[in-house]
Amino acid sequence: MEWLLDYYNYRIVGQYFNQLAFGLSQTLYAAGVALVLSLLAGIVLALLRISKRGIAWRPAAAYIEFIRATPLLIQIYLVYYGLPALVPAAAGWSELYLGIMALTVHTAAYMSEIIRAGIESVPRGQIEGAKSVGMNYYQRLRYIILPQAFANVLPPLLGQTAVLIKDTSLLSIITVFELLSAGILINSERVKPNESFLTIAAGYLTIYAVLLCLSHMVKRRLAGPAWNAKR
Amino acid sequence: MAMQQSILLAFDHYTTVLVGILPFLWQGFYETLKVSFVAIIAGSLLGFLIGVIRSERVPVIDKILWCYIHLLRGTPFLVQLYVFYFVMPNLNIELLKWSSTTAAFVALAVYTSSYVAEIVTSAIATVPQGQWDASTALGFTRLKTLRLIILPQAFKLMIPPMSGVYVMIIKSTAILSVVGITELTRQGEIAILRYPRDILFIYSVIAFMYFIYCYPVLRFARWTERKLGIAKVTELD
Repeated sequence: MEWLLDYYNYRIVGQYFNQLAFGLSQTLYAAGVALVLSLLAGIVLALLRISKRGIAWRPAAAYIEFIRATPLLIQIYLVYYGLPALVPAAAGWSELYLGIMALTVHTAAYMSEIIRAGIESVPRGQIEGAKSVGMNYYQRLRYIILPQAFANVLPPLLGQTAVLIKDTSLLSIITVFELLSAGILINSERVKPNESFLTIAAGYLTIYAVLLCLSHMVKRRLAGPAWNAKR
Repeated sequence: MAMQQSILLAFDHYTTVLVGILPFLWQGFYETLKVSFVAIIAGSLLGFLIGVIRSERVPVIDKILWCYIHLLRGTPFLVQLYVFYFVMPNLNIELLKWSSTTAAFVALAVYTSSYVAEIVTSAIATVPQGQWDASTALGFTRLKTLRLIILPQAFKLMIPPMSGVYVMIIKSTAILSVVGITELTRQGEIAILRYPRDILFIYSVIAFMYFIYCYPVLRFARWTERKLGIAKVTELD
């Protein structure tokens, strides 16, 4: 194993195990919270977007287009510097929370597009059936439309989750201590780029591999539209 | 009256700032344009080659290219950029001891290639098997079939997802500011050093400039999607 030490000194990585583990936990925490928030915001945005009233769908569409046509880095800067200026209470928030806000603002637009496709994939007859048994709007949404919509778009939602986890790396720029920051720390203290950045890359790859397996499993299980799925 | 005056003053102030920073932002915008064009062209060529080779399913090479694509898709671009910027020049290979500009260009092009390769492979796979069979029956060689029959049909399918990837690449150029490429975002950061109090205004202007670059490409992607959605590849079976 001696020859390996020249290229990749795993002992240094071992010394920084705590920082790396903490960074990984922060990455997963930021991604997890942003995922839940952006799904909720995405549902609201998608419902506004498919509404027939101009006052509802126009602002939603403008928001989605704006987010999709500007870089995430700029959005992070806008939230990071802008939110404390608009909401005085936000000035006391940690970078992590502001970063999660920025990721939510960004991902919600993409989630809403996916959820919208899911809602539109639910056959019209399902909604008519729900209406004819006397369900109101919220009941239809809760029991008929959203369960089927989510099942239909589970693979792209998982794909977007993978993108979200990769996007958390940009939070290192606003000094959130996540996985990439741990790598930058090793590089600045030991000047060992191989040990720092290749380790980080392996960490992200592991998360990606887990999501890829999950996505394959979901695709196999569902195998087509949810309403055809065998129980 | 007082309010009117303060609005006028604010307007005056923002005009001054805008006039002060706009020449630099345009310079940055031009740099963003240049970086994104080079990355898109180089990355597309490389990705196209990889995609065509992958669709041939050569035993060992296929596995290697699979690894290449998933290594690039599974890690954040920022991490890749650091790998190209810090790790590669550290490998003691003369060729890889490049400047930050080269590192950034290569990183972005390689990143593009992984996405383009996937699109090309899946577009070629979408062309019905009957097309291959028919051209084999007509005595076409494999290369000729690919060039004359398969690729022209596959190209149509590639256009919408390719435009989507290009938007993503244009947006990714903002990350290059981290390694000191003076593109739009970096120029904005420099402008903020001059007008630290107008940080929000400057970032909004930058966001708008990215928007006017990306939005037409985004619309083009959607337009082609609609347009080509009707005229699908000839389905024989």
